[in-house]
Amino acid sequence: MATLELSMQEDVPAPVGRKRKLGLLFWVASIWLAVILVLAILAPLLPLQNPTDMDMLERRAAFSSEHWLGTDGLGRDELARLIFGARVSLTVGLIAPMIGLGIGGALGLLAGYFRGRCETLMVGSMDVLLAFPPLIFALAVTAYLGQSIPNLTIILGVLGIPAFMRVARAATLTLARREFVIAAEALGASHARILLRELLPNVILPLLAFFLLGVAVTIVVEGALSFLGLGVPPPMASWGSMIGEGRDSLDVAPRLAFLPAAGLFLTVLAFNLVGDTMRALTDPRQGAL
Amino acid sequence: MTNIAAAACKRAPIFLVAAFALLPLAEPAQAQKSGGSITVGQELDIPGFDPLKVGVYDSSGYTAAAAIFDTLVTLDDKGDAAPKLAESWTHSDDYKSWTFKLRKGVKFHDGTPFNAQAFKENFDRQKDPANKCRCAFYITNVKEVLAPDEYTIVYNLTDPSVNLPATMSIQSTNNVVHSPTAWKTKGDDYNRNPVGTGPYILKSWTAGDRMVLEKNPDYWDKGRPYLDRIVLKPLPDAQSRFASLQSGEVDIIWDDENDADNILKAQKDSKLTVHTYKGSGAQVYAFNTKVAPFDDVRVRQALVMSIDRPKMSQAISNGLSRPATNPYGEGSWVKCKDDGALPYDLEKAKALIKDYGKPVEFKMLATATPRGRMIGQVLQQFWKRAGANMEIDQVDQATIPSRAFSRQFQLTPWRIVDLADPDPQMYANFRTGSPVALAGFSDPELDKLLDHARVTADVGQRTEDYCAISRLINKEAIWFWTFQNTYYALSSAKLKGFPKIYNGVIDVSNTWLE
Amino acid sequence: MLNFVARRLLGMLPVLLAVSLLTFLIASLLPGDLAFVILGDQATPENVAALRHDMGLDQPLWWRYLSWLGHVLQGDLGRSFRTGQTVLQAVSERIPVSLELMLMAEFIGLLIGVPLAIACAARAGGAFDRFMTGSAFAMLSMPSFLLAILLIYLFAVELHWLPATGYVPFTEEPLANLRFFVLPALTLALAEWPGIMRVLRSDMIATLQEDYIALAKAKGLKPSRILFVHALKPSSLTLVTVTGINIGRLLGGTLIVESIFALPGIGRLLVGAIYTRDLVILQGVVLLVACGFVIVNFIVDMLYAVLDPRIRHGHA
Repeated sequence: MATLELSMQEDVPAPVGRKRKLGLLFWVASIWLAVILVLAILAPLLPLQNPTDMDMLERRAAFSSEHWLGTDGLGRDELARLIFGARVSLTVGLIAPMIGLGIGGALGLLAGYFRGRCETLMVGSMDVLLAFPPLIFALAVTAYLGQSIPNLTIILGVLGIPAFMRVARAATLTLARREFVIAAEALGASHARILLRELLPNVILPLLAFFLLGVAVTIVVEGALSFLGLGVPPPMASWGSMIGEGRDSLDVAPRLAFLPAAGLFLTVLAFNLVGDTMRALTDPRQGAL
Repeated sequence: MTNIAAAACKRAPIFLVAAFALLPLAEPAQAQKSGGSITVGQELDIPGFDPLKVGVYDSSGYTAAAAIFDTLVTLDDKGDAAPKLAESWTHSDDYKSWTFKLRKGVKFHDGTPFNAQAFKENFDRQKDPANKCRCAFYITNVKEVLAPDEYTIVYNLTDPSVNLPATMSIQSTNNVVHSPTAWKTKGDDYNRNPVGTGPYILKSWTAGDRMVLEKNPDYWDKGRPYLDRIVLKPLPDAQSRFASLQSGEVDIIWDDENDADNILKAQKDSKLTVHTYKGSGAQVYAFNTKVAPFDDVRVRQALVMSIDRPKMSQAISNGLSRPATNPYGEGSWVKCKDDGALPYDLEKAKALIKDYGKPVEFKMLATATPRGRMIGQVLQQFWKRAGANMEIDQVDQATIPSRAFSRQFQLTPWRIVDLADPDPQMYANFRTGSPVALAGFSDPELDKLLDHARVTADVGQRTEDYCAISRLINKEAIWFWTFQNTYYALSSAKLKGFPKIYNGVIDVSNTWLE
Repeated sequence: MLNFVARRLLGMLPVLLAVSLLTFLIASLLPGDLAFVILGDQATPENVAALRHDMGLDQPLWWRYLSWLGHVLQGDLGRSFRTGQTVLQAVSERIPVSLELMLMAEFIGLLIGVPLAIACAARAGGAFDRFMTGSAFAMLSMPSFLLAILLIYLFAVELHWLPATGYVPFTEEPLANLRFFVLPALTLALAEWPGIMRVLRSDMIATLQEDYIALAKAKGLKPSRILFVHALKPSSLTLVTVTGINIGRLLGGTLIVESIFALPGIGRLLVGAIYTRDLVILQGVVLLVACGFVIVNFIVDMLYAVLDPRIRHGHA
């Protein structure tokens, strides 16, 4: 599982000066994301063919007016599957990192602020999670709880917790030494108040930037799990599972693998362009306080 | 096939097979060449060879077993039972006792002499209830094996078996002969250090990587084997397995019809040869008739009638899969004028489900493999058209038997493999009280037919019994069959002498390179 | 320093214990067990019960865990019921493969990632920088199972430069061994370099904004010298972190790449153990992998301490 962990730590922001203006790319990326999101949300209302209806004698058909993007290996409409696949990929890709963000972020914040035993314990438990082979975890959960989108989301979410925790802790560690926190402590503010009012608003920014990266990684990892039979249950499609199915007909119809891969690439790229720009805008070093 | 069992039947009444009747497997026009080595690309990693440890061999294990071990009997290229470690055999009039005369002067790789005692020890070890061998399941019909003298063994059966020699030709845990000295001295390590009398000796084996087999210089069949070395490698991914064949890393690979694109590509490639064998048996599915909605025959019939097999064959294998209407297939000697197959009739299916009244919703077990998912989705689609809602329950291989035996399923895939006689599998799958009678369906008429077919020697009568059984099962729709068994191997065109894929076993032990 | 080492080492024990307990719990939740796998067609309730008893599977979970732990403390990781291999045999056959694959992948990843990061950082926001950042995401969104088969078709089937699948031990044929590892390592590395590049690039851009770089520029030092000596060196900590994380992650094996290229690595061993419910192997291998992870973490911490003495007092 080459990609099962959110491994990219980006504590340091990209250069700022150039991205102050949002730039054309940012807008193109945002529009792409908006279009994909709208298509995904409205998929059931759109005049699409049923993504699971098969025409078994029309397998891997070429582009036509009936099937705009042709049909897949079982004769299902490729366009409909791409759009319904976006729905699944984005649902999993957005919700799983939220779990990581919520739990990992909170743990990291607490660990970075309270230090001491609490920190040791949390870092230790994250080490346990990291040392445990992720695939075994995924296999066991699906074998026990069954295969469904919620279960898949939980697996990917839990696997993302350590990374979010690291980011949150690192950010809290630097912030906790800054003047405004020390001042609040001196004024006798409660721990809860300092955590929620002073630290959280500042820690949330790098976390959100990291979140966007997490979305991208999660969508790719879901594909890997689908390839291993641990992803979304068929006949539902996700971009990842479509790439996996298309892989078997690379010779005959390479588009079946490359269309969803292209969708994935553009979306991942767009998420990161937007993420980078937002991080640049919200970099604490720019005195955003 | 057919030939296996049909021919074996023809031959069965002949009391003595000439001692020198070992037929060359290849056509005489081709000159065998000695030397060289080949690499075989397999699907699975082999866990080991000790029957007590592994129970049964899988498709990959068979290939290795065919090279390391010998069986008493083999099948020649016409499908007739031919001598191997046994030189001849006779049977009693009631077919309940078979006597085999063993080949003399054969030694195991470790020097232990092969004789009746060694064979009997092999059998007793598997039969011993204390050993709880999974393999014992397939020898329940053998009461005992006796060794009256050094080169004679006697099989005493509980029921008549007219086809015994042919059914003993598959290189299964029950039929290959291990060196008793080896398993006694090696203990736990024997599993991965097997010793047989076969044409190849295990040289080295790295788990998950490759098994190197070297030519046995003292093989009893002089002049054989031809290749100096055989390397077996597990290549789990179908696409890269085929790419390895194309690039020349391996010389022959296991394949199945769901990999149709590659099979068709190989057919067009002059550097490759496609080996096909149409075996008996079928890919089958069992309904659990004890639970709703399958406790109602209308639902079962409706589901069976809504499957359009030719279309399904197109979808899953580019039309390579051969539709099945009974559990025996064209490869079996059981030929039915009327097997009672339910026709494809979507309207009738819809009507039956409407008649049932309640919504039909259920889960079907499927292996978490591309193959399992593809077939599952196609069935799902057919049933959706008939108004039934199936959910695919993807599980790993280990889960399917455990779910099946604990009856925690509604519908499960199963397999009836290519065997020379239908009795062992039909009896196990459908006789009331058998642990593998997955449907949980009990019918006195069915039991009577199964019992009768088992103890009858007359082929015509048995055929009638098995056809009646098929009609009964098809009518009640407790199991259904989708496609007949077709076995595939793809090889380099230079590889010669590859025999028919009897029982689905890729046996390369008598091949040579041109 | 000694104190620091001892503290870190002690801190690992609870992690290992927790990992082994977690494995035990998770494995016991799986439906079906080894008895079913071994018995197959013969898995009648009576047979299963008898075999479970023979294998000790009918004991309560906590008892099985404690007795396993007792054996492990005596250095006995057990023997598979299925293959008869000991855990140490099974792992020692496979560790060299996973280790070599991991090191080669990391090496290639650094080889691609580091120069690109420097080039991007030198002209941050320029056309090259933007192009490479985009390509990095293209690589990231290409799942390894697709990438692997594309590489095989290109380099093995079409060009015949490299073998498609397979493996020989380094000790037997060093050159052939390296050839077998190129494609799988490349598949992994193509997913690794974007991460390495992005992290290092951001780090260097930040460093290049520091005052001492401005000073060096003012002194008239050559730009290449500034880039490689003054800017790259402070980023070594980041590189160590990223490499450490990647190695830790790859330790558990890379099932997909191992399966496609038919490499006998840890990933296939682990998943095979799960599929056949071979708990002895599963338990032992997870424990050893966790040990490896902990050791890598430890080495990374040590490297931190060596590279930056201030860290010895705080927490890395």
